[in-house]
Amino acid sequence: MKKIISFILASIVAFSLSISVANSAAKEVRVAFFLEWPTPNQEDKVKKLFDKALGVPVKWTNFANGGAMTDAMLAGDIDISYSQGLVPFINAVKSKAPLKLVDIAMEYGMGGTTCVTSNASGITKANASELEGKKVAVPLGTMAEYVFDESMKVVGADRSKMDVIQMDPEEGAAALVSGDVVMACLFGGNSIKAAVAVGSRLLTVQEARDAGILGIDITSVTDKFMKENPGMLRTFIEVTHEANARYAAGKSDMNVIAKDAEMKLGDMKETIGGFKFLTPAETKKSMESGNLAGFLKGMDTPSGAVDTSFLPL
Amino acid sequence: MFTKIITFLIFFAVVGCILHGRRIIKTEKVDAVFGNPERAKGGTHWVIVGSSFILLTWLYYSWDIAKGFYPKSANELCQVAKVNDSLLSLKYLFPIEQRQFKSTFIIKSENKNIDKLGVEIQNSQDIRDQDKSKLLGLIKKTKKTIPLLTNEKLLENETNSKINELTNKIIWLTEDFQKVSYPPIKSLEEENKRIEALKTQGGWGSSGTAVEQTIEIPIIPETKKGLKFDAAAKELKIISDEFFKLRNHNPDYKSAMKEIKDEIKEYRSGLGDTHEIASTFAKDILKVARRIEYASIFPPKTLNAMQESLIEFDRVQKKEQGSLRYVDIFLFPAGTIVSSGPSCSEQGSGRWLPKPSDTLNKFALLLKPSVGFKNIPLIWFEMMDVSKIVGFLVPDWIADIIPGEYPVHSEDGSVKPNLKSKILNIATGEFKLFKIPVPMGHIWDSFLRVFLGLVLGIIFGVPLGLFMGLNRFAKGFFDPLIELYRPVPPLAWAPLVISVLGIDNVGKVFLLFMVSFSIMIISARAGASGTQLSKIHASHSLGASRWQILRYVIFPNSLPEILTGVRVAIGMCWGTLVAAEFLAGTTGIGFVENVAKKYFQYEVIWITIFVMGMLGLLFDVTLRKIIDKTIPWRGKG
Repeated sequence: MKKIISFILASIVAFSLSISVANSAAKEVRVAFFLEWPTPNQEDKVKKLFDKALGVPVKWTNFANGGAMTDAMLAGDIDISYSQGLVPFINAVKSKAPLKLVDIAMEYGMGGTTCVTSNASGITKANASELEGKKVAVPLGTMAEYVFDESMKVVGADRSKMDVIQMDPEEGAAALVSGDVVMACLFGGNSIKAAVAVGSRLLTVQEARDAGILGIDITSVTDKFMKENPGMLRTFIEVTHEANARYAAGKSDMNVIAKDAEMKLGDMKETIGGFKFLTPAETKKSMESGNLAGFLKGMDTPSGAVDTSFLPL
Repeated sequence: MFTKIITFLIFFAVVGCILHGRRIIKTEKVDAVFGNPERAKGGTHWVIVGSSFILLTWLYYSWDIAKGFYPKSANELCQVAKVNDSLLSLKYLFPIEQRQFKSTFIIKSENKNIDKLGVEIQNSQDIRDQDKSKLLGLIKKTKKTIPLLTNEKLLENETNSKINELTNKIIWLTEDFQKVSYPPIKSLEEENKRIEALKTQGGWGSSGTAVEQTIEIPIIPETKKGLKFDAAAKELKIISDEFFKLRNHNPDYKSAMKEIKDEIKEYRSGLGDTHEIASTFAKDILKVARRIEYASIFPPKTLNAMQESLIEFDRVQKKEQGSLRYVDIFLFPAGTIVSSGPSCSEQGSGRWLPKPSDTLNKFALLLKPSVGFKNIPLIWFEMMDVSKIVGFLVPDWIADIIPGEYPVHSEDGSVKPNLKSKILNIATGEFKLFKIPVPMGHIWDSFLRVFLGLVLGIIFGVPLGLFMGLNRFAKGFFDPLIELYRPVPPLAWAPLVISVLGIDNVGKVFLLFMVSFSIMIISARAGASGTQLSKIHASHSLGASRWQILRYVIFPNSLPEILTGVRVAIGMCWGTLVAAEFLAGTTGIGFVENVAKKYFQYEVIWITIFVMGMLGLLFDVTLRKIIDKTIPWRGKG
C-alpha cells in the first residue's frame, strides 16, 4: 500500500516537473518554416547568417501546416514561426493563445492557394451557383478555407448549401481527379498541378487579385520570447527584410534557396515569383491600415495581436 | 458547486473503499492459494477507487478543483499575471532570474562577434589590402564604442537622474502597494463604469452557448486584491516603457557612432560593384554597431539601485498575493494563468485538458440537435419515408424491362405518366408512403460504419476461416493472399482505398471490412483446427453427416475463438474508423475531432475521445453478455 501511494505521488511530481521544464528558455532561437515555400531568407538560413546576426545558434524546424506551428509554439518548442498562414494564426489568437504577429512574411496572389472545379462538372465562374448541393473539398482552418469563402462571395454561391468535405490538399486533388467532388480548394504546387490536369481554376489569378483575394503569410512569435529577447526578434526581422531587399535587387542565390526549399529551380522560381515581399514601410502600412488590418478585421480577430514595433524602419 | 460535491464524494469514496478493502482482507477466509483465480473475484470497491482516481486526476490537472473551490482565483491570478507580464521585460535585464545582466551577455557576445568578423576580414582572399585595413579600422572603432557606453564618467546627468526617477517610482509603488488603501479610489464615474463592465463580464470557464468559444478568463478585476495588482501592473508598464525608451547615448558615444555610420556610408558608396564582398563586410560591421546602439547598455553600477528596487517589489508582490500564491502552486499544477496583451489564458495542462464541468456543458450543447457540430447533430433522428427503403431494395432495371416506352412530353407541354414511368418511380423511391423515424448524426454514422464493417467481416470471414481450417485446397489457396495483406496496418490502405472507392461510406466501410475480415478468418480458422479429434471421431462413429459434424461439433467448438476475434476486431475497427474519417469526411466522430483540432477546441476533442471510448465499451459489454449467454461451454471442453 505504501509503495503504491509513494509511486502515485512520485509520478504526479514527475509529471508536473516535466511540463514546467519543457517551457524553460534555452540559449538558442527555434524557428519554424515550411518546405516548398521558398523565401529569400533561406539563403541566410543556409549560410548561417542568422546565427551570426543573432549571436546565438538558430535551429530551423519544418512544419506541414500553420496549426502545427501554433501547437509547437504553445508547447514551448518554437520561438518564432516564419511564414505561418494568417488563418491558423487567427484561429490560435481566437482561442487566446499568447502569440503576437510581428511581421508580414509575404503577400501572395491566388497562384499558390486556389479553388479548382473539375471539367467534367462543367461548372465555371458563370454558373457557380450550381455548386450548391454538390460536394466540395476544402482543407478547413487553413488559408484555402478563406480563399474558398471569398471566392464563393465573388461568384455568388451559397456556402451553407454545399456539402463541404474536410480534405487535405493532396486528398482533395485525388478526389477531384476521381470525380468524388466537383471542386477542390487547395494549396501547394504539386496538388494544384494534379487538380488543374482535370479541371480549371474557378477564378484566374488575375480575377482573384482584382477581387482583393490574397494570401498573407506572417511572422508570429511567442509572447515570452518577444518580452525576453526584443533585440533578437528585431534582428531576425531585420535580416529577413535585408534578404527580401536583396531578392528584390536580383542578387539572391536562387540555387541555394531552391535546394533548401527542396524544389526544382524552375518550380521554385515560379512559386517565389508569385510572392510579394513587402518593404518595412509597406509592412507597417499593411499591418496598421492595409490588407492585413482588413483581413484581421474581416475575420473578427481580437485586437492587440499585432505589434509593429519590431519592424526595422 | 457541482465540482465541489464531486470532489468530496470522490475523496470519501476512495477513503471508504480502501478501508473496506482492508477490512475484507482481515475478515475473509478463503482457502484459495496464490494462483487460484478465485482470489481475483469480487472487488467492486477497487473499481470505485480506480475510477475515482482517474476522475480526480482529471479534476486536478484540468484545474477544475481550483475553479470549484476558488472560482475567483483565475481572475485574481490574471491580475497577478499582468504584473508579471509588465515586470518580465524589466526583470529579464537583471540577474534576478538569469545568471548575468542582459547587457553583460550582449557585450560578451558582441565582442565575440566583432572578433570573429575581424578574423574573417583578415583571412579573406577576395578583398584588396586597402579595403582590409579600412575595414579593420572600422572594426576597432566599433569595438571602442562599447566602453563609451559602460564608462561611468561619461554617463550623462540627465540619463542618471531619469534612472533614479524610475527607481524611485518603483520604490514608491512598492510602498503604496502594501497599503490597504491602494489603489486610490478613482472618480465615482470610473468606479461605476467598472462595476457596469463587471456585470457583463462572464465567469471563468468555457461558454455554454456556442461551440466555437473557448475558455474565458474574466479580465476586469473583480476583487480588492485583483484591483491592487491591476493598478500596479498599469504603473509598472509605464515605468517599463519609459525605461526601454531610455538609452545611454552620451555625446561621446553619439559622435563616435555618427562617425562610424558616415564612414561606412561613404566607404560603401565609394566602392564599385566589383567590391561587393568588402561592401558586405562593411554592412556587417554597421549591423553590429547598430545592435550595440539598440541594446540597453549602462555602466555596471548604474542600475544597482533599480535592481534592488525591483527585487524588493517582486518580494512584496509575492507577499501580497498571500493565500492566492498557495492556490496557484497547489491547485494549478503544471502551469498557470498567463496574461497576454488584452486577454488572459490558461497555459499548461489547463489549456489542453478541459475541465470536466466545461466538457459536460459543451457536450450538452453539442447534443442539442439544433446546434450539433457543423450543422449536423451528434445523434438525433429524422423522419424518413419508407418509400426510400423500397426504392433502395427494388432494382431500377425492373422498369427498363417492362415493355413500352417512357413517356414523352406532349405538345401542350404536359407529361403523362404511363405504367413504365410509374414503376420507375417506385423503383427509385419517388413516391409517398408513411414516414418512420431513423437515427442520424455523427455518432450514428460512425456507429453504422463500424457495425457494417464488422458484420460484413463476420459474414465473409467466419465461413472462409472454417473452410480454411478444414480443407487443404482452401488453406493453400487463400493462405498467401490473407497472410500478405493481414500484417499491413489498416491505415496504410486508407489513402488507396479512398482513391479507388471514393470518399463516401463505401470506402470507409470497405476499410473496416478489411480489418475485421482478416481477424475473423484467423480466429475462425484457429477455432476449427483446434477442435479435439476425439470429439470428431465420436460423432463420426455415432453416424453424423459432414454437415452435422460441422454444425454440431466444429462450429460450437470454434465459437469461443470467433467471439474473441469479434472483440479484437471491434477495437481495431474503431481505431481505423477515426483515421478513415480524418482523411475525408463530412460526418462522423473522427471528422469532428479532426476539425476541432484545427480550431483548438480542446473540449470537443475530449468529447470525441470519450464518446469513442464509451461506444467501444458499449460494443464490448454487449459482446461479453452475448458470450456468456451463447457459449456457456467456454473453457470447459
